[in-house]
Amino acid sequence: MTHEPTSLENEQVGKEAGDRARPSGAKRRTSQPGATSKTDFDAGRYLYCLVDVEEDRDLETVGIESEPVRLITNDGIGAVVHDCESVYDSDDHTEIHRWLVRHQSVTDEAAAVFGTPLPFQFATIIRGGDDVVCEWLENERDHIEDTLRSLADHWEYRIEIVRTDPIGEEALEASDDHLTELRADIEAAGPGKRYLLESKYEDRLEQLRAARNQALVTDVLTRLDAHAREVHPVDSPPGGALEGRRSRDNAGTSIGRLTILARADDEEAIGSVLDDVVDNPGLEVTFTGPWAPYSFTPAFGEETGEESDGD
Amino acid sequence: MTTIDIDEDEAGTGLITLVVTVVEILFDALEREAVRRMESGRLADEEIERLGRQLQAIETEVESLKASEGIEESVSDLRDDLDGLVWDALEGLDEDHSRSKKPGYTVFRGEHE
Repeated sequence: MTHEPTSLENEQVGKEAGDRARPSGAKRRTSQPGATSKTDFDAGRYLYCLVDVEEDRDLETVGIESEPVRLITNDGIGAVVHDCESVYDSDDHTEIHRWLVRHQSVTDEAAAVFGTPLPFQFATIIRGGDDVVCEWLENERDHIEDTLRSLADHWEYRIEIVRTDPIGEEALEASDDHLTELRADIEAAGPGKRYLLESKYEDRLEQLRAARNQALVTDVLTRLDAHAREVHPVDSPPGGALEGRRSRDNAGTSIGRLTILARADDEEAIGSVLDDVVDNPGLEVTFTGPWAPYSFTPAFGEETGEESDGD
Repeated sequence: MTTIDIDEDEAGTGLITLVVTVVEILFDALEREAVRRMESGRLADEEIERLGRQLQAIETEVESLKASEGIEESVSDLRDDLDGLVWDALEGLDEDHSRSKKPGYTVFRGEHE
């Protein structure tokens, strides 16, 4: 199934704030003269975010490829855009990274001027001119206004809990009869059977560690819930619950990633909960934000995109 | 899509890494099955002992091969990649089937110009 690009294109990018620098799609940036490919168009507006412009303010900055960023307003709603004629894609990861950083910077600047924006994923392009943008804003007005109102003064924060030292074997054995029995069996067995029992012992250890880690993350989530409007786990690690994804610097094992929607005023209380977590030996926590609420912004217009398939 | 990156300049090492990784995965499955049979109570003590010794010998051999070829880290990395691949596939099963077939962009609305 392929889509026929029409007015609003969105090159899919991980919607999570933490994954915003990883485009999942890859397309060429085409600009052959006379080409009418899906990725070329006479006029387009690259969309960074939507903002509430009840107050008369403007945004002066440059966007991707130093394009001048401007605001298209429609009765209180502003679309932060730059003019473009093709989608953004490249095989050069450095270039993509540069674009993504600029995309985020513009969104951050818009947030500083207008308050919490409705951020759009990298490479969201509205095909057409300002009139098409205004028409789209008008059509989506209720949805946009409701969302802007709902997310006002709220920001997204990301938390990753990393276990730098596995929970000690002795501590686990002391609290688990099954492990204690296995230890006794191992000591009484011959070399061959001992090998198999040790394998079983290791499996049991991992199960207990996973359970402890999961309990800890659940406890953190519950405690954060008291200070945030929403708290959600972000995906699960490969290998199921037994093994967490290694953190980026391989300095430990990620045992839980959470995304939070909260007010800036709640940062201190959230930080306090996380301080309690890192007081535990062998645990580290990364806490990033405030971000524009990427994970909490609903999709706009996707349903009409589905319908446009048959157009 | 997750890709498994094997350095072309070290294709030989890459091939050994791949083979050893596959052997390790098979070995893990074998080991789980051996433990299951041990617990089933259908094996005599001598059989359990022999099974354990054989597995231990294989593991020692594989570890020795990894050390001599200097591929401990690359095997570990490849296994992580494979874990990620399987995980992505499992996640894909949970998603709306049509979504997984979408191109790199989504069309929202309007007419093609």
